[in-house]
Amino acid sequence: MKNPLRNTIRELRAARSMTQQELAELISVTRQTVNAIEGDKYSPSLEVAFRIAHVFGVPLEQVFQYSPPRSRAK
Amino acid sequence: MSRLSFQEKMLWAQLLGIGVVVVFYGRYLVHAGPGHHYFHALLLLLLFLFGSVRLIARRRSGNVVEDERDHSIASIGARWSNVILWLGIALILVLYWDHGSMHSAHFVIGILFHLLVLAGSVRIIRELVAYRMSA
Repeated sequence: MKNPLRNTIRELRAARSMTQQELAELISVTRQTVNAIEGDKYSPSLEVAFRIAHVFGVPLEQVFQYSPPRSRAK
Repeated sequence: MSRLSFQEKMLWAQLLGIGVVVVFYGRYLVHAGPGHHYFHALLLLLLFLFGSVRLIARRRSGNVVEDERDHSIASIGARWSNVILWLGIALILVLYWDHGSMHSAHFVIGILFHLLVLAGSVRIIRELVAYRMSA
């Protein structure tokens, strides 16, 4: 099933010249988890999502966007 | 930079260890006479050594070695492992009811031990698949 959660972590990181490892250390997860979140392969907990937004100093909705799956035609 | 996390490396090491012992068991010990089935002791020793190495590696590592993704994947592995264990126990009970006896304590211990090895292997493989799927 396609993950309805999208994120802009890669762009936010690139704008700050931050590596995945650096971000991982700041939010207390592994680099592999940051990679999985960036690739929309893993949806983080609310706490980690807030930590990411806090690190970048932006609101949560600027980091994560939810696009609900399209319902079937009636 | 390694593509594999600490947890994944440990899982591969566990799988390799179990694989080596099982191959060794199948190749050399399955046809051995009574008194030579030291497979159980060998496997226990291997698990003990592995546990010690893992503990030391964890303590030495200053990096994050476990996070919420690791925990969620571990719970998936535990769920699969539990299913195998429950099925195995159900099978033992069916055998008991079918035969009316369990032959001997050695027979029961043998079944339980192989069941634990199977459940452990399934847990490891399921966790590795989960890591690759969310990598």
